[in-house]
Amino acid sequence: MKNRKHSLTKHAKEIAIRNLFGFFAFLSVLLLGLILVFLFREGLPLFKQISVVDFLFGTAWYPTYDPPEYGIWPLIVGSLAITFFACLIAVPLGLLSAVYIAEIAPAGIKEILKSIIELLAGLPSVVLGFFGMVIVGPWLQETFDLPTGLNIINAAVMLAIMAIPTISSISEDALYAVPREFKEASYALGATKYETIIRVIIPAALSGVSTAVILGMARAIGETMVVLMVAGGAAAIPEGIFDAVRPMTASIAAEMGEAPFRSGHYHALFATGIVLFMITLAFNLIADYISNRFRETGSGTL
Amino acid sequence: MEKDFIIRTKNVDFFYGAFRALSDVTVDFEKNKVTALIGPSGCGKSTLLRLLNRMNDLIDGTRVEGEILFEGRNIYAPDVDPVEIRQRIGMVFQKPNPFPKSIFNNITYAPKLAGIRDRGEIEALVEASLKQAVLWDEVKDILTKSAMTLSGGQQQRLCIARALAMKPDVILMDEPTSALDPISTAKIEELIDTLKKHYTIIIVTHNMQQAARISEYTGFFYLGKLIEFNATEKIFTNPDVKQTEDYITGRFG
Amino acid sequence: MNEEILHPVMNMKWRYFKQRLFFGAVRLSAFVITFALLGILAYILANGFRAITWEFLTQPPTDSMTKGGIMPAIVGTLYLTVGAILVAMPLGVVSAIFLTEYAKQGALIRIIRIGVNCLAGVPSVVFGLFGLGFFVVFLKFGSSILAGALTLGILILPTIIGAAEEAIKAVPQTFREASLALGVSKWNTIFRIVLPSALPGILTGAILGVGRAAGETAPIMFTAAAFFTAVLPKSIFDEVMALPYHIYVLATAGTHIEETRPLQYGTVLVLIALVLGIDLIAIIMRSTLRRNKRW
Ligand SMILES: Nc1ncnc2c1ncn2[C@@H]1O[C@H](COP(=O)(O)OP(=O)(O)O)[C@@H](O)[C@H]1O
Ligand SMILES: [Mg+2]
Repeated sequence: MKNRKHSLTKHAKEIAIRNLFGFFAFLSVLLLGLILVFLFREGLPLFKQISVVDFLFGTAWYPTYDPPEYGIWPLIVGSLAITFFACLIAVPLGLLSAVYIAEIAPAGIKEILKSIIELLAGLPSVVLGFFGMVIVGPWLQETFDLPTGLNIINAAVMLAIMAIPTISSISEDALYAVPREFKEASYALGATKYETIIRVIIPAALSGVSTAVILGMARAIGETMVVLMVAGGAAAIPEGIFDAVRPMTASIAAEMGEAPFRSGHYHALFATGIVLFMITLAFNLIADYISNRFRETGSGTL
Repeated sequence: MEKDFIIRTKNVDFFYGAFRALSDVTVDFEKNKVTALIGPSGCGKSTLLRLLNRMNDLIDGTRVEGEILFEGRNIYAPDVDPVEIRQRIGMVFQKPNPFPKSIFNNITYAPKLAGIRDRGEIEALVEASLKQAVLWDEVKDILTKSAMTLSGGQQQRLCIARALAMKPDVILMDEPTSALDPISTAKIEELIDTLKKHYTIIIVTHNMQQAARISEYTGFFYLGKLIEFNATEKIFTNPDVKQTEDYITGRFG
Repeated sequence: MNEEILHPVMNMKWRYFKQRLFFGAVRLSAFVITFALLGILAYILANGFRAITWEFLTQPPTDSMTKGGIMPAIVGTLYLTVGAILVAMPLGVVSAIFLTEYAKQGALIRIIRIGVNCLAGVPSVVFGLFGLGFFVVFLKFGSSILAGALTLGILILPTIIGAAEEAIKAVPQTFREASLALGVSKWNTIFRIVLPSALPGILTGAILGVGRAAGETAPIMFTAAAFFTAVLPKSIFDEVMALPYHIYVLATAGTHIEETRPLQYGTVLVLIALVLGIDLIAIIMRSTLRRNKRW
């Protein structure tokens, strides 16, 4: 009987450990909720002053004027424009480099290139911002005879450098995961390596590759220091790729220091944070959905 | 003389998800004897073995029906702690699986966690276990070396010593020699022969000569069913069931 | 009849031409990426190394930050980074253990995974806002090492969880079975067998997390970073200077932007050396680990 009681308490201990660990694992979800709660707590008071529609689609961002105007449409457009052009650069480079690593490169080069991409991912964004400011900016200004080299295209190039590692490494995993039988079947039918990659491997890895692109975009849209330093800072709707813009992240980072505590401006910056949070959350949920659906159906959907 | 059965299974069914790996297995294992389980690959031998010390608990989506009694107690009863069962029913795996620790620490790992603290007692236990496993002479000077440096056969004997150190009543062996060379295999078979004086041994083997050489009883499984259970001599000379005979004489399938 | 089949030789030439074109593009992309990294590094190194002197590394800034060194920023970054890892390591490892060893598939684990993925995707500036709203304002930590380290800790939590999970999954199932079959409890099996085997991998992940935390600017802007402090912090409730923020300040906010360029390059070089040095250690550690796998 003693033995039995002993084993019961031991069992209770195991369950206690399990629950404790479960709680800590759940903390990530709680933190996500907490982030939302505190963004709302500091951001929602803005909407006592202006409507959500005026906030999102208002075209004038003059937070320090009297009366202030809090329309973040130019900031949203700025974020989207830079992200779009960054992806235009980063998607082909990221995807092609993933193909190179997964399918073509000899073993030695493969390892080196993977390390290079990892180091690129490790470059602090402030360093890229600095590089864009002191090198790319002046060069653009001179070459194209512009009023400023700090503009959409500069920011897009620097952001692309940040997004490439995300796109490349996730795509590479997806390409690796394609079953060898598919490739062998294709080769056995007399397809060239190129045809096998384009017709078999990439389609089979498509959901992984799309996940990679979406996450790369999310990374770009949420990136702060680069756009803060090289996008030029003009809170106006751009008309060309050489125009300066002020993306949402840059606006928050630049202005939070000066906005009086719990002023309209302060609330407006938090509300911008909510928009940003929602956009990236949506991107991540979509990516999660795609990669998860893929896992369930496996390669049967090819 | 009344036979002393240490483990008995009664009408055991076992499912991996919807797949039924064992059906209606009823078998009694006699104390301090060697029982061999034979049968073609995939017939459920390992599954049965892992049921006896609740190792199948570790696989998700499995289900047991029927009863497995160890010394009269149903080991699948809700108040039974599998940890305690496994302390008394040791196991040796198909591939030697020492921990990446020293030889000494491989042996002392479980006894220490079970509460043995005294240094002298622990050292005596290491020596005794290694001697029982006929490994002592080969490793006594290198006890602090990593177990990974031993040969496959030595590793497997270390795994047996490791199991013996817990002083179990039963040792389950799942094809313990299938990954070993003939010389190591012979050593392990000798070892089993000496161990059976003090331990009940249940061994899965795909090697019928081995079953014939070392066991007193043999169970023949086919497609998750126990086809025949008998004294080994009887099974190999004059089995009751035609299927058993076909398998043993190699006229199978 | 298909023309392509009638001229197999021509056809093959065309197919191989397409292949060469594609392979060319693929190699070019790898080259561009390599060139981008090496170009940036070489440029910063060439311009920065002259600024690196003993004084630069050990003295505080002087003359309204137009001269002197960056020692307080180095120290501040170290404090913040160590703090972040102290927060994220235990949480991350425990989460990873739960996800790999305890939880079966199910709704809970699905939710946790989505949560971790989404947390990983939250923009760094939003972490900064959260840190401001929660740690600085609500918990009244003020702009401080504590608030900054907690914010950074949450930021790198998903990285640590991911790395720890991978390391734990790489521990062979046979180790667990061997331990459990000896009648050792699950908890002891995890603690004595699984974690020690996974430790190098977990540490690699932690190091990568450190590198990430050291380079982040936006999360500490409103939670910890000071423009300038003459003295080193005395408690975790003090503000600190930090390398990445110092770069931003020197490069954008001063009235002497051109004049302090050498200081900027020097600071960038120190930050890069720190962050990429850390990353490189992790990468090398991981590849030796893979090579010397004992199982
Ligand atoms: N973990 C598992 N999940 C699902 N099916 C399994 C699992 N392990 C074994 N099986 C199936 O159960 C049957 C019996 O397996 P096993 O007991 O390993 O056979 P044996 O040891 O006799 O070769 C086989 O058909 C096998 O495919
Ligand atoms: Mg088997």
